[in-house]
Amino acid sequence: MSLTRKQTEDLQMVLRGAAIALVITVFLGPILWIMLTAFKPLSDVYTMALFFEPTLDNFRQIFERPFFLGSKLTNSVIISTFTVLIGIPCALLAAYSFSRFPFRNKKLMFFGVLATQFVPPMVVILPIFLMFRTLGLLDTKIGMIWINLSIVLPFSIWMLKGFVDSIPVEMEEAALVDGASRFRVIKDIVLPVCVPGLFITGIFCFIFSWNDFLHALILTRKEAVTLPVTLGSFLTEEGERWELMAATGTIILLPMFAISYFIQRHFVHGATSGSDR
Amino acid sequence: MHDRHIKFLLIMPAFALVTLTILYPLGYAVSVSFMDWRLSRSRAPTDFVGLQNYVRAFTDDPSFWNSMQVTIIFVLGSVLGAVFFALLIALLLSRQGTVYSITRSIVALPFAMSPALQGTSFRFFLNPEFGIFDRIIDKLLPFAASIDWLGSGFWAMTWLIITDIWNWAPFLSLMMIAGLLSIPKETLDAAAVDGASSWKRFWTIILPLLAPVLAITCVLKAIFSFKMFEYVYLLTGGGPGEKTSTMTFYAYRQGFVAYDMGYSSAVAVLLAVLLVFVSLVYFRLIFPKDGET
Repeated sequence: MSLTRKQTEDLQMVLRGAAIALVITVFLGPILWIMLTAFKPLSDVYTMALFFEPTLDNFRQIFERPFFLGSKLTNSVIISTFTVLIGIPCALLAAYSFSRFPFRNKKLMFFGVLATQFVPPMVVILPIFLMFRTLGLLDTKIGMIWINLSIVLPFSIWMLKGFVDSIPVEMEEAALVDGASRFRVIKDIVLPVCVPGLFITGIFCFIFSWNDFLHALILTRKEAVTLPVTLGSFLTEEGERWELMAATGTIILLPMFAISYFIQRHFVHGATSGSDR
Repeated sequence: MHDRHIKFLLIMPAFALVTLTILYPLGYAVSVSFMDWRLSRSRAPTDFVGLQNYVRAFTDDPSFWNSMQVTIIFVLGSVLGAVFFALLIALLLSRQGTVYSITRSIVALPFAMSPALQGTSFRFFLNPEFGIFDRIIDKLLPFAASIDWLGSGFWAMTWLIITDIWNWAPFLSLMMIAGLLSIPKETLDAAAVDGASSWKRFWTIILPLLAPVLAITCVLKAIFSFKMFEYVYLLTGGGPGEKTSTMTFYAYRQGFVAYDMGYSSAVAVLLAVLLVFVSLVYFRLIFPKDGET
């Protein structure tokens, strides 16, 4: 049996379509199921029902006693936002410095920046716990912002250095000859060109601190607890409240949808614009 | 101000922060690993005990050996699995077009999803009474109906690995798609004209060109697999028994459940040493030879 060229192409199209459908189901399915569960009345939570009377009851419950999700949501938003607002400028300055100036042992220094990413958090968390206890930073938002900064800074510097590297130095040199200071140059020349890079790096920073679980688990108790840590509190000895877990999960997911679009674009846009040339 | 001062001034904030939260604690952890320190008895390290914590790990603690085995199985499984599926997804999605770019956006979702949420919800999905994964598998494979997924050592580890693959394969595939799309179309077309089948084109052109990206993704994934904590903590709880208790999880248990700070630090330092080796391979790959970075 031999297929014509047309038939072969059709067959490939169908297989490709089926594969794409499978991929979408596998990766979107679990996420949608969580969101669906969040809107289910208790009687449907433990069924496979796809159609039910949607309710906001689960969301109402998590914001009331004894869970009070409102304060945790505020904590998460404040911690992630300030991590980005402080982290990105620090990272840009460092990235600029690494990109433009000669350093002795530059390679080693840069290696050091990256290497910090590979230190298992479990190794450093105990000393940080003790240090925070001494400084009175345990269970505070400031402490959490600090710890998140140390998580996001190394890779932010790395990402931003790539962006700064791609800016031609000629413009800066002209400005410097005209007597502008380094800080002027960074503010007026580098910063505007870097906006897309700052944006994507900022998004990554936000995700990492928004999703951080390990540090918040160990370093917070009551006042500075963030959303991911609360997930476990719905699964206790007294009972497992999956519908409340799902409602909290849905809130955790919200910023992700906007963000995943940009991540995808960041990766693929860079690649395709290269292949067009 | 002279550039010589400015360059240090610019890296200062980042450098100070990172030193204070990573380098200093790292040194402190190493020093604590040589101490005897039960937090339940004392607020500060009591005695210098030399290598005793390390000796204990290697000669007197089956749980530690177990955690090393578990870690290695998990790392192998999750690295090979994630890279394999990432490659499949990348081959499927490395095309231009709206359908493909929308699918890529969807595929990017798991990476942006909170690992804690993923661990908890997969636990929900695997519940033998009402979990959706369990129900679907029971429908498709009736002989698997009686399996309690998280109650068996083998299946708990399998699901731990699957959970991790679900999170990572999409991200790694985006890294690969960037590599795939940069393969000149002419090269592939020329091979097609010469009559090479797509299978042959994959092995002779695509794979060799993709090899550097594959190597980097493997090592990068390995580094993150060694550090993985959330899924063990929330999906399996290290169980059943200690069947999924990785080194990260074991160090956590020793430190923050058993309050044996000295021993916990020793386990964590051993994990860090393992990671140093893997990281060195990584840096060899991304900074080949002595090229300026």
